Amino acid sequence: MALRRLLALSLLLAGAVAPGQARAGEARLTADDFTARVAPVLERRCGHCHGAQRQEGGLRLDSFAGLVAGGDSGPAIVPGSLAESLLARAVLRRDETLLMPPAEALPADELALVTAWIEAGAPHPGGSLEPPPPLPPFDPVAERAHWSFTPVVRPAVPVVAGAADPIDAFVRQALAAVGVEPTGPADRATLLRRVTFDLTGLPPSADEVAAFLADESPDAFARVVDRLLDSPHYGEHWARHWLDVVRYADSNGLDENVAHGTAWRYRDWVIASLNEDLPYDRFLRRQVAGDLLTTPDTPAAERNALFVATGFLVLGPKVLAEGDQAKLAADVVDEQVDTLSRAFLGLSFGCARCHNHKFDPVSQADYAALAGIFTSTRSMESLARIARWQENVVATPEALAAHAEATAAVEARKGAVAAELASARGAVAAAGTDPATVAEETLPEEVRQRLTALRAAVAEAERAVVPLDTAMGVVEGTPADARIAIRGDHLVPGRRVPRGVPVVLEIDGPLAIPPAASGRRELADWLADPRHPLTARVIVNRVWRWHFGRGIVATTDNFGRLGDRPVNQPLLDWLAAELVDSGWSLKALHRRILLSAAWQRSSTAADSPTAARALEVDPDNHLAWRATVRRLEAESIRDSLLAVGGTLDRSMGGSLLHVANRAFLFDHTSIDGTRYDAPRRSIYMPVIRNHIQDCLWLFDCTDGAVPCGDRGTSTVPSQALWLLNGELVLGVAERIATSVLAATPGDGVPRPLLLFRRVLGRSPTAAEERLVAEAVARITARLAEAGTPPAGREAAAWTAVAQGLLAGDEFLFVR
Amino acid sequence: MQSIPLPTSRRRALAGSAVGFGWLAARNLLAGTVDHGLPVRARRVIFMFMKGGPSHVDTFDPKPKLTADDGKPFPAAKPRVQFAATGNLLASPWRFRRHGACGSPVSDLFPHVARHVDRICFLHGVHGTNAAHGGAVLKLHTGSDTFVRPGMGAWVSYGLGTLNADLPAFVTICPTLAHGGANNWGSAFLPARHQGVPLGVASRPATEARMKFIANPRWSADVQRAQLDFIRGLGDQAAADPVLESRLESFELAFRMQRAMPTVEDLSGETRETLALYGLDDPVTANFGRQCLLARRFAEAGVRFIQVTHSDGKVQWDQHADLLAGHGEKAAEVDKPIAGLLEDLARRGLLDDTLVVWSGEFGRTPVAQGTNGRDHNPEGFTIWMAGGGVRGGFRYGATDDYGYYAVDGRMSIHDVHATILHLLGVDHLRLTYRHGGRDFRLTDVAGEVHGAVIA
Repeated sequence: MALRRLLALSLLLAGAVAPGQARAGEARLTADDFTARVAPVLERRCGHCHGAQRQEGGLRLDSFAGLVAGGDSGPAIVPGSLAESLLARAVLRRDETLLMPPAEALPADELALVTAWIEAGAPHPGGSLEPPPPLPPFDPVAERAHWSFTPVVRPAVPVVAGAADPIDAFVRQALAAVGVEPTGPADRATLLRRVTFDLTGLPPSADEVAAFLADESPDAFARVVDRLLDSPHYGEHWARHWLDVVRYADSNGLDENVAHGTAWRYRDWVIASLNEDLPYDRFLRRQVAGDLLTTPDTPAAERNALFVATGFLVLGPKVLAEGDQAKLAADVVDEQVDTLSRAFLGLSFGCARCHNHKFDPVSQADYAALAGIFTSTRSMESLARIARWQENVVATPEALAAHAEATAAVEARKGAVAAELASARGAVAAAGTDPATVAEETLPEEVRQRLTALRAAVAEAERAVVPLDTAMGVVEGTPADARIAIRGDHLVPGRRVPRGVPVVLEIDGPLAIPPAASGRRELADWLADPRHPLTARVIVNRVWRWHFGRGIVATTDNFGRLGDRPVNQPLLDWLAAELVDSGWSLKALHRRILLSAAWQRSSTAADSPTAARALEVDPDNHLAWRATVRRLEAESIRDSLLAVGGTLDRSMGGSLLHVANRAFLFDHTSIDGTRYDAPRRSIYMPVIRNHIQDCLWLFDCTDGAVPCGDRGTSTVPSQALWLLNGELVLGVAERIATSVLAATPGDGVPRPLLLFRRVLGRSPTAAEERLVAEAVARITARLAEAGTPPAGREAAAWTAVAQGLLAGDEFLFVR
Repeated sequence: MQSIPLPTSRRRALAGSAVGFGWLAARNLLAGTVDHGLPVRARRVIFMFMKGGPSHVDTFDPKPKLTADDGKPFPAAKPRVQFAATGNLLASPWRFRRHGACGSPVSDLFPHVARHVDRICFLHGVHGTNAAHGGAVLKLHTGSDTFVRPGMGAWVSYGLGTLNADLPAFVTICPTLAHGGANNWGSAFLPARHQGVPLGVASRPATEARMKFIANPRWSADVQRAQLDFIRGLGDQAAADPVLESRLESFELAFRMQRAMPTVEDLSGETRETLALYGLDDPVTANFGRQCLLARRFAEAGVRFIQVTHSDGKVQWDQHADLLAGHGEKAAEVDKPIAGLLEDLARRGLLDDTLVVWSGEFGRTPVAQGTNGRDHNPEGFTIWMAGGGVRGGFRYGATDDYGYYAVDGRMSIHDVHATILHLLGVDHLRLTYRHGGRDFRLTDVAGEVHGAVIA
């Protein structure tokens, strides 16, 4: 490239280019033609993207110097040579990777003019041949002023009357600034229901409610929090949050929907890691570079877990039937870069694949630096249609030994076949002929029988080989720096960029990546650096969002310029500093938050002494002056139904996929073979992209395609249809009705009490008892009108009422 | 169609403060988000998707030179990325004839559709980006073969809302579950209410095409009414909250939808003559005919975007081998139903403001795969449109002499989407949704309206 530029310049400077022959229809072109005719065409047709305002691909076409200097692909023109001039190739549309202008070819007359001018040696008025000044580079100092790029400095806790807890002090300070008083504490039954769902995703049992209401000791609630954090259901519920962030799925989705048959190992690793309170910095490092964190001394189970953790990098949807393998490779890396940046940093670097980020200080070079780390990583076993992602062996030492032994047995028996064959052939081969040419059919009968028996023994040995356990994950590939892709097109490579991280976010200068390493380990260390301005802020904000329903930064996945600003940055920074100082313990963070008065508030606006003002200045509760009424997440709705119906299977872990790894869940036959009938917690149900289980999909679970830290809550009629007409709710209602009726034979027993306890864990009010009685009576009458035999009416009516309670607000919402 | 007034409650007044919730009140469902001041030529879309990739050079884009050079090598370069290995040029086994006043040519595969060419605008210069089914199907439906994006029906629902609050704005009848499956009618980052409602699935007969959970296996409407009143009564016991208020309204809407959907799906009121028009009296055409008739009924009832899919549990329009038998069989299944739909819409005065779009995910190569098949060809193929303000009896754009590449009137999928939106009175540049810090469009950063196809 440099050589070519030098050549072009030297030719020009030496005046060595003879004036070219004009094309037919074009008189000999002169320097004035450039100014009068060529430049205006370039300005009109190209200036929008290659002018003073924008320089796509680093190219400016608004001066002769710009043409010669060129952009990321090299000089735009080589005077006198159409073949070597990228500009000519582009406008002549000779090369499908370089079609300019992109939307429409130049009109014939303009095309003729531009090409004739180049062929004529690009005559131009004198003047500087210096390239135009480069774009002002990102000014790291100025760019680092963006709030989320500044280092976290632990703020002093303000002194606020009545707020001993630091979180409360920060929240109250922000509320005081807008003249709002928070609501008082929620009642204890509400609080227990809220905290139980918050930490485990399941409703409290009636016994747990009774025990908590009876416990008047001052630390009763703190002990409940500890009990729930120690429950294995904590890990299940919070792993589901994390799986949203890492776009977890048990199938590829996208174009070819084949099974991620080993993804569940990653899911189970997340659950176990959260339950054991693996510090977040280590949790993060293992997902980015677990395979690089082992030593020869690492115990096998730990080593396998480290490899499983890197499944994070491979779980993304891929166009597995992409015919253009280079594009597929680039797309896989792009998905990794974007997921990593969103999940851990709350930034989307994906934009910078094609152009410098329009809003955040992330250049195409920054993107290429990060991409190089992943192009140096092996994430795919094969790019040939249908492409295969990388799987790593994660077998136990016992399984490995057994496998080696079984494989050796196969080889030994194969050897026996070969030996038998060779000796038999040698015996019958005519002198001077190759024994290998002896047809097996011509061998003596008893030899052929022995061969059959020996081959049967091989087959038997092969059947005895148990395939080794594998897990989606990565390993090191061939380390090499990546090139900038001009306009994001993998077919138009620009300059190489050393592997690294975006300049604006460097902590100790560029990463020191050894030439023989991909750089993932260095990347992981950088992400987990306590001084990283984003890592801790992003995760504490996520945790806050999952506890309060809204982040301190509302855009949990976007801390860039287009993201929201924090509504309370001192609070966010204090939490981030706390997290780091606590050794990155998420359970400590949960305790901090749940024991604050801010989290324990009533959701009823009227419980604030300044309710009217609060509703006026902060109707959406950005500042947490009250608790927000929240609908249960999809998984909790299903799990709660199974729990109150008494059929929830609480066993943990493992796979419920019913097809083999890499097998199609959906092919061109459109036959739906998915099964969701296991009464297990929803986190264990296969996440089939493009075909999520109805009840989860209807209630806004994510589709596992892109990172999502802030699920929406929709209210649509199809949810009501599922609640009113779906088999799951009806079945649960029937079981509840049966138990209510069975427990209270005869009249005068408070069935509504049993019903409420079973579904809501509390007693009904007098008014509610009346509503139940009225509904039972009315529905019984309707059933009679419809001809239901008298014997079936009572059970049916109670089923219908139980269903109403299950479809009602209190069961599905947390106040 | 008029919607039933909603019951009001003491909490209605609070609804106005529920900023941030996507769904406030049923009446809002009627409203779209855009008014771009463009002429509204089409009020709704019926999108007929021929899964697998029908061959343009065997249906609507005749190539005499292909016939003349049968068996010779293709004289130019084949595309850099191809799906499968291909050989030399393969002449079409079907005869083309000119039809209608316009004289547009149609092959003998489509004798019924041929009678409607004066209503049809052929787009012969369409080109896609992906030579594999999955990528191409996603591209056609969502505009992207790389990322998960909302389907075009979801964008239309988002932009224009519904014409009937008791029905979904976007239904897709017997959709395929392969090659993107639900992504093709999903709402991705758009609010969930804009996603298409699937009725049935391609592997099951259209007689089973129903919205899921639309019918109760156990309770009569009276019992359900009493259940709803119970739910409402329970809600009134608790403190007011706008979220919960909107939820009650969604129950009422569901209750009405439960009545409205079966009415639309019930074909018992259709005359024998109409059923025959769509081919419901013939086992070959009955399945797709039923889909087309349902499409007309949903169009009449006020659904904005209706997709019908011609696919099944077999190989669809994907003749890598045995083109003659395969395309013959597929065309026989859809020809009469499509013609019947065009005729029926026209008779009822619905064709004027209903845009009918016919498309596969790509065309097929003019060169042979094996001895008697054709490979996928996204480089140039034909989509056609009728009604809804398009210029009937018109052929726009062209492929090269053999039908391999689009060379004239080239329309990318983004251009097709931009033009469809334009016919609906929507400016594709201004139909945007802010997500992840960026404004997204159906047409991404591309798309041009091709005014030549507009009447």
